[in-house]
Amino acid sequence: MATSKAILVDITKCIGFRSCEQACKQIHGFPMDSEAKLSPTALTVVEERGDRFVRRMCMHCQDPACASACLVGALKKTDAGPVTYDGAKCIGCRYCLVACPFSVPRYEWTKLVPYVKKCDMCAGRQAKGQPPACVEACPVQASIAGDRDEILEEALRRILASDSKYVKHIYGSEEAGGTSVFFISDVPFEKLGFAAAPKQAMPVLTASALGDGPTVILVGGTLLAGLYWITQRRALVALAEAREKSAKEGK
Amino acid sequence: MSATGRSAIRFPRISFWRTIVALIFAAGIYSMYARFALGFKAATNLTDPQPWGLWVGLGTLCGVGLSAGGFAIAAAVYLLGLERYRPILRTAVLISFLGYCTVCVGMLYELGIPWRIWHPIVMWNRHSVLFEVSWCVMLYTTVLALEFSPALVEKIPFVRVRELYLRWHHSILIALVLVGTLLSSMHQSFLGGLYLITKGRLDPLWYTPYLTTMFYLSAIPAGLAVTIMAIYLCVRSLNARVDMNILSDVSRVIGPLLLIYGVFRAVDLINRDATRYLWMWREATLLFWLEIALLVIVPLVLLNMKGVRENPQYLYWTCAVIVMGFMTNRLNVSVTALQTSSAAYYVPKWTEFAATLATIAAAVVAFRYAVIYLDILPKNPPQERWMVPGAPAEA
Repeated sequence: MATSKAILVDITKCIGFRSCEQACKQIHGFPMDSEAKLSPTALTVVEERGDRFVRRMCMHCQDPACASACLVGALKKTDAGPVTYDGAKCIGCRYCLVACPFSVPRYEWTKLVPYVKKCDMCAGRQAKGQPPACVEACPVQASIAGDRDEILEEALRRILASDSKYVKHIYGSEEAGGTSVFFISDVPFEKLGFAAAPKQAMPVLTASALGDGPTVILVGGTLLAGLYWITQRRALVALAEAREKSAKEGK
Repeated sequence: MSATGRSAIRFPRISFWRTIVALIFAAGIYSMYARFALGFKAATNLTDPQPWGLWVGLGTLCGVGLSAGGFAIAAAVYLLGLERYRPILRTAVLISFLGYCTVCVGMLYELGIPWRIWHPIVMWNRHSVLFEVSWCVMLYTTVLALEFSPALVEKIPFVRVRELYLRWHHSILIALVLVGTLLSSMHQSFLGGLYLITKGRLDPLWYTPYLTTMFYLSAIPAGLAVTIMAIYLCVRSLNARVDMNILSDVSRVIGPLLLIYGVFRAVDLINRDATRYLWMWREATLLFWLEIALLVIVPLVLLNMKGVRENPQYLYWTCAVIVMGFMTNRLNVSVTALQTSSAAYYVPKWTEFAATLATIAAAVVAFRYAVIYLDILPKNPPQERWMVPGAPAEA
């Protein structure tokens, strides 16, 4: 995963120009009107929180809840970093929407053949060595992209700089077990409406229950078979006793 | 009724219940049109923060949970040798089978792209709880169909076919029951497991690592309660002949099962240090107490009374309370307990209710005709007041 890509959003630098929104819409061929919230035609939006601008998008978790939830494996974490969605597999169960700790995936509720929509970190562009469209479009480099380790280092460097005004936390470094989109800010994240996601990889939560499956089958199966054997045995003994008794009485 | 069968086709008598069922079906047909011709937006109030609503909460979670009677009774009769429950075995299996059928039909409404419902068969993701649930439901519906099949096969007029099938069926029956018990135990729990991933968003009164156990422990008593209700109705309106003592025997099992469930939930709340949420003045807490009252406290008090256990009508209403409590629990987990964190306020659209109700009504109608025309429960000979004058009575 050395070449895994990531994005860093520096909230102190964002001036709310919304070039990222526009670039995203353009590259996906969506209508260009700005939208207030994430939607099937707005995979990233810049939300105003007080006097700060907060960009929202898929966090591209290292071990994504959505990918573990998807029963047909339509959502996948790629080695290159992006979490991608294969619409051809999707059956529309929407468990990914339930599972996402950041409430990111959007569903095309108005369509007759609806699909899930979410940012894919421009996986296609990144494969060609280009940065994500939103990052490229940012006029003030509030968003930067690069290899995940380097991006994390850069975030740390900014936070720990001597004149640092930043909150001492990189949002995304431990949320949901770590993501590939990071935020740094001079205002506490909870005040900016960031989700207080669990600090563990989400699939762990269901893995233990799923891991119990084979045990349940083995132990339960043996137990039930044993019970059946006892039941059967008792019936046979009762039958034999009854026969004996009637044979004796017959004499 | 069979007694009227001889005369020419007659317009069915308009009765209260028939009118209700007709209205439900009419509304259901519109909902079907809305869902499949107009889409989710027209048929539901679902939104991105509330992607699963009534169809999952009531249709799937309650549908599967309330169908737990079949595996419980089958395991009791075949594996534990509790022969006294055999007279109600077929009814229990039939209810479960029809219950799972409604779940499968409901799934078509629920899925955004329903014609891809077969995808999980070939596209696997074994890290997904939903994947396990889908396989268990598929397999267990098949098991139930096989378990129930003799009731239909018996009616085939060819002796050879009948005997061949029944002999084969007899040879696999125990295996079926065993596999069925394991499959239902697994997916009853996994339905709770679906919500394990909502940590931090599901209200602390419900979120526990033991959601799987909670769902399993509550499903069995609720499934048995449905079985009691259905049999009581068969006796009352379909002229079935059942020894009511069996029902009070079943109710004697429900009590302890509910008690175990209640104790388990209490211990879990204390262990997780979540007891402080019990006394907060907020909607979620009120709904929690409503659920606990209906599912645990009231039924336990009622079932503790001999007079209730031995009076079929009182027992029926007690079971109705259990079922209400169970539905409250499942809707709390799937809808209300997630609303604070998602900041969504979801009230289902009437078409959502209508679609679910119509599927349930179809199952009830199917159940009724199965009891009338198949040998599900022994029947009394037709009584005077149900006979049409002049028509010969059929035993």
